[in-house]
Amino acid sequence: MAENRNGAILAADFGSVHTRLVLLDTVDGSYRLVARAAGRSTADFPFNDISTGLTRVIEELSSITGRTLMDGGQQIITPERTDRAGVDYFVATASTGRPLRTVVVGLVPEISLASGIRAAAGSYVEIAETLSLNDTRSEEEQVNAVIQAVPDMVLITGGTDGGAQEPLLVLAGRIQLALQLLDPARRPVILYAGNTQAAPAVQRMFRDLTAVFVAGNVRPALDEEALEGAQLQLGRAFDKFKENRGMGFDTVGAMSAVGVLPTAQSYNLLIEYLGKAQDVDVLVVDVGSAVSTLSASLNRQANTIIRTDIGLGHSAHALLDTVGIETIQHWLPFNTSYDEITAYTRNKTLRPATIPQNLRDLYLEHALLRAGIQALVQAARPAWRKANPFLTTALPTFDPLIGAGAGLAGTGNPGYSALLLLDALQPEGTATLRADANALLPALGALAYIKPEAVVQALEYGGLEELGTSISLSGQPRHDRAAMRIRIRNASGQLVEHQLAGGHLWVYPLPPGQEVEVDVRALGRGVSLNGKARLRLKVSGGSVGLIFDARGRPLPLAQDVRGRATQMPDWLAEVSGGEVMPIDERWLAPLAEADTPLTAAESPTPAGKPDRRWRGRRGQAATRSLTPEEQEQLDEEEDLQNALR
Amino acid sequence: MPYVDQRHTLAWTTVRRERLLPDHTYGEVNARAGQHVNLREIVARGSVPARYVFLEAARQLRLSKPEDLNDLLLVEAGDRVQAGQALAGKNPERGRRVLSPVEGVIVYTGEGRIIVQATPERVEVEAGLVGQVVEVRPERGVMIEAFGALIQGVWGNNRRMIGPLRLEPEEDGLEGIFDDLIDRQYSGAVVVTRRSLKATGLMMIENQGIGGVIAPSMDAGLYEQAINHPAAIILTQGFGDLRMSTQVLNILEGLVGRQTTLDAFLPDRWDTRRPEVFINLPAKAGERPPEPRTAQMLREGMTVRITRAPHMGSVGQIMDLPKTPQLLDNGLRTLCAQVSLATGETPLVPLANLEVFGR
Repeated sequence: MAENRNGAILAADFGSVHTRLVLLDTVDGSYRLVARAAGRSTADFPFNDISTGLTRVIEELSSITGRTLMDGGQQIITPERTDRAGVDYFVATASTGRPLRTVVVGLVPEISLASGIRAAAGSYVEIAETLSLNDTRSEEEQVNAVIQAVPDMVLITGGTDGGAQEPLLVLAGRIQLALQLLDPARRPVILYAGNTQAAPAVQRMFRDLTAVFVAGNVRPALDEEALEGAQLQLGRAFDKFKENRGMGFDTVGAMSAVGVLPTAQSYNLLIEYLGKAQDVDVLVVDVGSAVSTLSASLNRQANTIIRTDIGLGHSAHALLDTVGIETIQHWLPFNTSYDEITAYTRNKTLRPATIPQNLRDLYLEHALLRAGIQALVQAARPAWRKANPFLTTALPTFDPLIGAGAGLAGTGNPGYSALLLLDALQPEGTATLRADANALLPALGALAYIKPEAVVQALEYGGLEELGTSISLSGQPRHDRAAMRIRIRNASGQLVEHQLAGGHLWVYPLPPGQEVEVDVRALGRGVSLNGKARLRLKVSGGSVGLIFDARGRPLPLAQDVRGRATQMPDWLAEVSGGEVMPIDERWLAPLAEADTPLTAAESPTPAGKPDRRWRGRRGQAATRSLTPEEQEQLDEEEDLQNALR
Repeated sequence: MPYVDQRHTLAWTTVRRERLLPDHTYGEVNARAGQHVNLREIVARGSVPARYVFLEAARQLRLSKPEDLNDLLLVEAGDRVQAGQALAGKNPERGRRVLSPVEGVIVYTGEGRIIVQATPERVEVEAGLVGQVVEVRPERGVMIEAFGALIQGVWGNNRRMIGPLRLEPEEDGLEGIFDDLIDRQYSGAVVVTRRSLKATGLMMIENQGIGGVIAPSMDAGLYEQAINHPAAIILTQGFGDLRMSTQVLNILEGLVGRQTTLDAFLPDRWDTRRPEVFINLPAKAGERPPEPRTAQMLREGMTVRITRAPHMGSVGQIMDLPKTPQLLDNGLRTLCAQVSLATGETPLVPLANLEVFGR
């Protein structure tokens, strides 16, 4: 590894479907993204080796830049040579591969067990079994369940610091017995993150059986949760697990300055760094093929949620199982049968890299994406409430909002990416929307500790795609009645005025890097701009521009298909600047008549706007807004469900 | 970068396939490197860990101190025991005793307790291919090299079977297989159907004792039924109502009557194996068919299969590979290939929606 050098940095991110590579180098004294390349990951058939895909993508990057990056032995050249061959740093992150199968032990399901599961949610783990004092199974059944779960790791939590140790040691004893019965080569490692005073006793129980990691108590007091220590140790266990699994991780890890860091951990490092160093509340959502991650910093507290049951490829069917078919249908502007949706998700799971080629498939894909992001948001809310106990909106005020993953950031149409973020996250007031199509963020997370200046500089100099700034109305505006009055004064002093009707979006084209002064008023009763009647601010543009969203929050998506068939094509056209792609009337026929989905050959092509048959009325078609108490109750129920999942 | 998915469909090729005991089984390999193996030959045997049975022996014997059990034990760790055998007591023949509820092995005695592991289930791994062992994985299994036809599918119901290849009746499909035909042609056979599998087809396969089915597709709603079906089922295209591609059908039609290995592996997101059909074919002395080409970049003239609607399952030739992303009808913009289809159509297809066949 090159120390304290300021040469080029090469970063690779290995996803389940794509391997992405970015090259950062100094331009005028600052690090910038100078080149990128992407290709298919090769962790699957027929290669089973991530380094094959890496070599291919490096070859492409070399052909783009004219720089030699690898030597004849397929090793990345470090440090950078005087002829500009090689790089000073190579870092690697990965979200591909099997997660750690984990048994989580805690005393009480709603307290220590829930905290243990939340700590595990920050790493690539699959909860294979749980044990608690509420478990009504016999000791024999519990021990057999642990053995049959074939865990890679057992996470033991429980007890508050200074509290009683006996119940915890009883449960730990069950795990000890299970390990004694297992072949020594197949014993899981132990991660202890419970009552600190019981740590020596737990270490004594397991030290002759397996490796024991000890972290701080995830629940030092009943009303206090501290997940960071356990998450750090989980990251270490994951690294060790990957290194021993083959699949080229050992080869790549040996070349990288940071080993192969879990992509989600890299997000967390970056978010934590940005939250603390720049004091911003930032959110990154990455919907991948097999794994999805939501990482956010709120009030300088970073939190990352990883879900292996949410994804658009390998995990597409798991996502459907997680959110339910009605949730997907809620985001579709046409009638669909159970068979059509399950065929779609099962085929996506079988061929995870494929992308929608017709309009019907596009809506199906984006329905999964929107539902998946909302499930991530719901899972993250308990942590956000901890950072902001007065949280009443569905989403705290994050700025910027960053989308990542091919489905979200790789649409090739910035309007689509922006609309997906707006629909799924539903920000209120002002938010900057960005897309990370090049997997720059995982790279920057990996660099946060070894080259922090590169992180700030690469972000500052356009490493991410600026989609634009959104200004969104809270509350429920009346459909097609004036809801926002917009005044924009551009750089040349020219004034642009626009009145936006409720239920619609409007885009003022403003290229990236340009700024204008905006004066927006919320019109009508019960609506605001994140609690304010008027906003006056200077905002910057993006590949979409300035997006004014007068649809309302929560998003008043029509409850009936015909209503959505009017709303959704309009919204897509309003944000993307394209023509309205109307929903074919045959797609709206009752299911018995529409049992054979139309092929794309029959799918509509862009045409004029359809007749407006749907007119939403407040309190009818619109989704009712939850009161803060209802939202809190919902959060608690969701938290419990997540904990028990 | 013009590398796309591969799903090998090859009429004459060399394959190397692992034949391993399931994960978490203990076993031994029954073949050596260089050995020629037949379809049904057992190459590895192992045991699946069985459940543990806890016996609170001290309590059953009404002992006041758990350690007193040690003096009454009739077995020790490692002993094999039969169901009903006395494990502890003053007299193994009569009086208060602790009897083993299962056949198995004593794995633990202490603290007033005896733990018996029930006899593990035995598993055997067949070669499933006529070929030669080229590598031995100690305690796990072997790698076998074989020559023949290979068709990789997209989904299987996690069963493996070997049987003669048959085509479904041309007119009525699977539903046209009746009892009078079954004994002669279809019982225990691997049957190729050109049509999507329906509930009636699944019922017919079970009723008529068909060993395995190669189908292009299946209703997604039949998933659970198919998983629990006694026959091995492979889908070559996917879920929904999709027809079999001519590429696959042409190969299978030429091999009717041959012994066929249907390895209907259930795709697992953490496993890289694929469901596949392999049919051994004889090679002339010294002849060795080419292995699948795995490092194929897309190029003009290459034969590809389209994997998404509206041309899902169609096979065609690449006409053009534009260097910049192309706008699709649905508004997405991505790298595409222009593909010439047998119908005369020349659609632009995202590279992500193409597969190559391994040649």
